[in-house]
Amino acid sequence: MSAGNWWATAAWVAFAVACGLLVGLPFGHPAVGGAAVLAVLLAWELRQLWGLQKWLHSDVPDGAPETGGAWGDVIGRIARLQRRKQYHKRRLLRLLRELRRSTAAIPDGVVLLNPQVEILWFNRMAARLLNLRPRTDIGLRIENLVRQPEFIRYLRHAEFALPVMLRGAAGAEQYLQVQIVPYGAGQLLMLVRDVTRQERLEAMRKDFVANASHELRSPLTVIAGYLETLSQEPGLDPTLAGPIAEMRRQSARMTAIIEDLLALSRLESVSGTVEGEIIEVAPMLEQLRRDALARSGHALDIRVQIQSPARLLGDETQVHSAFANLVDNAAKYTPAGGTITLRWWDDDAGGHLAVEDTGIGIATEHIPRLTERFYRVDAGRSRATGGSGLGLAIVKHVMQRHGGSLEITSQEGRGSTFTCHFPAERLSVPASAA
Amino acid sequence: MEAADLLHHTSRRFNEDLERVRSKVLAMGGLIEEQLSGALNALIDGDSRLGQSIASNDYKVNGMEVSIDEECSRILATRSPAAGDLRMVVATIKTITDLERIGDECEKIALIASRLANEQRPADRYREVKNLGRIAQVMVHNTLDAFARLDAELAITTARSDRTVDEEYESIQRQCITFMMEDPRMIRRALDVMWVVRSLERIGDHAKNVCEYVIYMVHGKDIRHTSLERVEQEIRGRAAP
Repeated sequence: MSAGNWWATAAWVAFAVACGLLVGLPFGHPAVGGAAVLAVLLAWELRQLWGLQKWLHSDVPDGAPETGGAWGDVIGRIARLQRRKQYHKRRLLRLLRELRRSTAAIPDGVVLLNPQVEILWFNRMAARLLNLRPRTDIGLRIENLVRQPEFIRYLRHAEFALPVMLRGAAGAEQYLQVQIVPYGAGQLLMLVRDVTRQERLEAMRKDFVANASHELRSPLTVIAGYLETLSQEPGLDPTLAGPIAEMRRQSARMTAIIEDLLALSRLESVSGTVEGEIIEVAPMLEQLRRDALARSGHALDIRVQIQSPARLLGDETQVHSAFANLVDNAAKYTPAGGTITLRWWDDDAGGHLAVEDTGIGIATEHIPRLTERFYRVDAGRSRATGGSGLGLAIVKHVMQRHGGSLEITSQEGRGSTFTCHFPAERLSVPASAA
Repeated sequence: MEAADLLHHTSRRFNEDLERVRSKVLAMGGLIEEQLSGALNALIDGDSRLGQSIASNDYKVNGMEVSIDEECSRILATRSPAAGDLRMVVATIKTITDLERIGDECEKIALIASRLANEQRPADRYREVKNLGRIAQVMVHNTLDAFARLDAELAITTARSDRTVDEEYESIQRQCITFMMEDPRMIRRALDVMWVVRSLERIGDHAKNVCEYVIYMVHGKDIRHTSLERVEQEIRGRAAP
């Protein structure tokens, strides 16, 4: 086609020049005739070129100059290319605009950061939540504008598995949950969510539990007091002795639950980790052993193995209640003749306390949920042993407040091991042993 | 314009040094914002433990000041910056001094808060102090924003809000005097509240100083001891053509 057109044009030029030469021949100047024809042809070509150039500069794809021959072919091709480009451009632009519009409409804040944590782009919600200014804040470091110390720590440590919770800046009553997701070549996607409402609800829930338990405690004390007096009444109808004893047991259990609830809400109400006071682990474990032996109704072999002279830095009351809960649990779920081992050791990772029993064990599917409040492996089990259902929740919270963790391993029918891991900075090794 | 020049420098390493110092100053600012809001919360909620922990955190602010100061000296010695960069380093050295003082005032507020927590709180729960505290918090926040964005306009408006702080301070002072005259048993608490308010007023002054350094950094103009209106006129006049 194009080649055909080109050949036609070339043939036409050759024919025109030949005609010029032929016309010039009778006058004796064939060259002048040829040159005249060439000049006309050149003028025509230049006009075509000029038209093409004008059209290309005008940026109007539809205004292509109408012409035939090879020029028409070239111009037609260019026009087609132009139209295709225009079409793709428009489609891309539309897509981009859609994309922009949809990301801008995301109810969460989105900020894109480069590896130097400079802002590349952010949507409207991010601007509102973090007080960013459109356009002028592009290229600034995010940590210069979001200056909360927790955020800067989060950014520096670059451990983005969990989101970080930020208080609103300048004393505003606002809570933001920020999560950073790395993508591409070191780029970071930062998601910001306003969680003020959830935080308020959570605070209300905690307040409610704390207040309700507090309010329940006083009437319960009165009931327990009268029950005690009644049970010692000499002229009491003997048929009432059983029910009264049961009522006393149940009121004692209720008191225990309320005490645990209060302990939990106290643990929750103070944020951050506890300051350290030195706790001697060995005497505490020895004491716990004696208490457990005295309390359990059946014969148990409780051993204490102290494999480290290290002392613990933490809140003594809290640590004691955590350890006591673990030992109590072990004693409750280990049948007569079983063995409980309390082992304290340390290594590079920190200090560890393991409470190992040869009791009835826990099925694997229950283990992740054990530290939930009032979670029961089976309905009969906890009630029969008189537990409050809050013990392990307390242990978990105490460990969190000490920067540590609770690890549970168990085999049904073989026994369980509850291990408290304390970080190395919570240990204090006495000078004589070091 | 000039603001953009401060952000880009021909030597990449030098530029990184300056950026790092700026980020450190702003991190220090972020810590101070948290100290201030913690100190105010300790006072308003009567939380003596929070007050104690805020007061014991002041060493962090001091540590940051020392480290930034060292870094600035190092930049001055090894890079011998000129023009805008020099202004930036000089302004930074001054800024951290004022920020450190704001930190000291926060410590004072926190200590008084932990003492006041043991006493009965007034019926209005320090409404006026809370209000003034909020103004001071916003002022510190905007000051640091102006520093981060090299925004002279924001620096001027923020510096101007120091007047609101002063007016609030005056009005709380009068209120405290009335309380003291009405009931002499209130004198002790009123005096403590006066100290808190005084600290907040000082925080406003320090924030205003930092705003002035920001203007100096951006426009190369020392505007201390000049009325804000004149400064504004001059800067607007320069930016307008």
